[in-house]
Amino acid sequence: MDTSVPLHLQQRKFVSNGMLAMIFFLAAEIMFFAGLISAYIVNRSVADGMPSIQQPRLPVEITAVNTLLLIISFATLLIFSKKFKSANSSRLFLLLTIFLGLIFLSVQGNEWVKLLRFGFSTHTSIYGAFFYTLIGAHAAHVMIGLILLLYLFLKLQKSTSFDNAKNKIAVCSLYWYFVVGIWPVLYVLVYLN
Amino acid sequence: MEPSTSTHAHHPPQSFLSKYVFSSDHKVVGIQYTLTGLAMAAVGGFLAYVFRYNLAYPGSPIPLFGELSAQQYNEFVTCHGLIMVLWVAMPVIISGLGNLLIPIQIGTDDMAFPTLNMMSYWVFLLSCIILLASFFVPGGSAAGGWTMYPPLSANAYHNTNPDFWTALFSGNSLVIIALALEFVSMLMGGINFIVTTINKRAPGMTPMRVPVVVWMLNIASVMFMFAVGPVFAGAVLLLLDNVIGTGFYDPARGGDPILFEHLFWFFGHPEVYVLLLPSLGVIAEIISVFSRKPIFAYKTIIYLSLVSAVLSVMVWAHHQFVSGIDPRMATFFSVGTIIISIPFAGIFLSYMATLWGGSIRFTVPMLWAIGFIGVFLIGGLTGLFLGSNTFDIYVHGTYFVIAHFHYTLFPIVFLGFFAAFYFWFPKFTGKTLNVTLGKLHFWLTFFSFNGTFFVLFFNGLAGQHRRINDYTLFPSIMQEPYITFQKVATISAIILILSQFIFLFNFIYSLIKGKKAVNNPWNSSTLEWQTDSPPPHGNFHTYPVVYHGAYDYSMPEMKEVDFVPQNLPLEKKTI
Repeated sequence: MDTSVPLHLQQRKFVSNGMLAMIFFLAAEIMFFAGLISAYIVNRSVADGMPSIQQPRLPVEITAVNTLLLIISFATLLIFSKKFKSANSSRLFLLLTIFLGLIFLSVQGNEWVKLLRFGFSTHTSIYGAFFYTLIGAHAAHVMIGLILLLYLFLKLQKSTSFDNAKNKIAVCSLYWYFVVGIWPVLYVLVYLN
Repeated sequence: MEPSTSTHAHHPPQSFLSKYVFSSDHKVVGIQYTLTGLAMAAVGGFLAYVFRYNLAYPGSPIPLFGELSAQQYNEFVTCHGLIMVLWVAMPVIISGLGNLLIPIQIGTDDMAFPTLNMMSYWVFLLSCIILLASFFVPGGSAAGGWTMYPPLSANAYHNTNPDFWTALFSGNSLVIIALALEFVSMLMGGINFIVTTINKRAPGMTPMRVPVVVWMLNIASVMFMFAVGPVFAGAVLLLLDNVIGTGFYDPARGGDPILFEHLFWFFGHPEVYVLLLPSLGVIAEIISVFSRKPIFAYKTIIYLSLVSAVLSVMVWAHHQFVSGIDPRMATFFSVGTIIISIPFAGIFLSYMATLWGGSIRFTVPMLWAIGFIGVFLIGGLTGLFLGSNTFDIYVHGTYFVIAHFHYTLFPIVFLGFFAAFYFWFPKFTGKTLNVTLGKLHFWLTFFSFNGTFFVLFFNGLAGQHRRINDYTLFPSIMQEPYITFQKVATISAIILILSQFIFLFNFIYSLIKGKKAVNNPWNSSTLEWQTDSPPPHGNFHTYPVVYHGAYDYSMPEMKEVDFVPQNLPLEKKTI
């Protein structure tokens, strides 16, 4: 369609459509987490002795390792998008990112199963309810992020123009950076309180 | 106008289904949103008629409905509020207008993401169906007030171990799910609007040449995006309370019901401005065209809207003055609320200044626009009273509040919409509306609306509470003249609803038998009037290039007309 516009009148897009949409979507996402987190902080500040003594201790150490894995996945994705110089650049680092994300999710799932076996559920206390809601909301976002990265990987298998591929990588990885970026905040607030 | 330089690369859709139902054309999506919103308005209006009749004649059977129980009264009041704000105002004012106007006014063929746009409508329709379905589940729809405060909105006093499926298909849960879907749909639409406006403007369409209504729709979309996250979080927590039995809002288990009020009003208050701004934009377009004058202080209007957008997210707790918030916080929110009237006073002043000395044409859209200014002014001024925390404690939850927000939301949603409808109908349908019927519709609506709500200010000041269905139980408050006022309000409301049938008739009759509309019936300078009526698939035959601002009226350079179309290459003299 742009072909019918005289060249000297064509407007240069500073940010692509997809990127712009993702930025605005993530702004709304940040506000969603801000709502959840502020609810949690306010509740914690008025409740006394939260978490209560009877509750099982949260797996702080293994989650710290898990946090590290997620941060490494951030780095691998960054390396992938920096190294993507031509349409047939290596996709190894993208696969590595997806792999790390999957490990993160499975470790989380394993933790949840253990905690539930200890009798720590959404009904144990308001703390339990907030724990599962906050961490669950993040886990759902990790899943969406993994689906996006997988979609990206499959799209890159097909031959598309380099610019198009580059843009898709930028949009999808921005979402992953958000997913990784919000996690340390949750870790510090929920696990290390 | 050679067809070879068509702006649209694809072939227009051919079959009926792909042309009018599953279409990603922004005009079709906009019309779908508007019609769905109007259908929901009929539902909301009927609910209003039923409980309004009950208020004037408590206990007597209601024509077309029958007996209204107290539980049903609560249900109807709740759903009337929810439907009118979220399923009428949002689709009609934001999605309908945004879809119809943004691409064509900025001079492009379609939205940035046409498929996403189509999906947003279908998600919205699904949310409508779920909301309407909630009336037919056992126990009826939500009945805890449109603000859905827990514990009323949480099932059966926070059942700690609810049966998941029964709880999921209860009225409360269905309404929350419908609400969440609606937010998702509006978010998709809003992102689309902003990306389209930023990236797809026609060459030469600089930010300060964009029509006011497009600016306003975008500011509203940004506000919506900023405010919707927390209420979404609040809705998720409420749904979990309902279906799993967590205790986020249950004080007995360490939760806090006030938390929901904060999360809700953090969205709920900006929401009012989300609706107000596009409506104000429509009014700006119309008064400029029919005063034959450039809109006064165009840039100031834009900047003031941005200021009001920022302020609007800092005033939410003025809805909670009686919820037990800290009085020092109440003072902060009270001052903030009163400050927010300054930008809107500025915008109104520039509208007045636009009318000043203009050669005003009292066409049908202009009547609605001027009606908007008058009616909204009363709504805005009574808002100042309510913003003061000391006064609010007295009138909180009375008919004064009811009258106030109907004086703000009715002009925003209906006067603003009808102004837009009568203005852009010829453009998007290619038919002309009947003027006499339009004027009759305006005057009947205008007087009956004022008849309905003006008297309620007095009932509110007398202390009548909004949530009581049968005032005969409180004879000390229900005295003359307040009994008569309730009846005046009800009879006016019935006239208000009946006069909408004039609109319906005019709409359908003109669609079938109306005269064919010319391309630019109002001599307007913005881009949508420079193409066919109705615009073809892809909007323009040749790609428009913009040389002027949106409001170049009363231009002496022009020979036959007094305006300069935005896409006319004409050297503008410095005046």
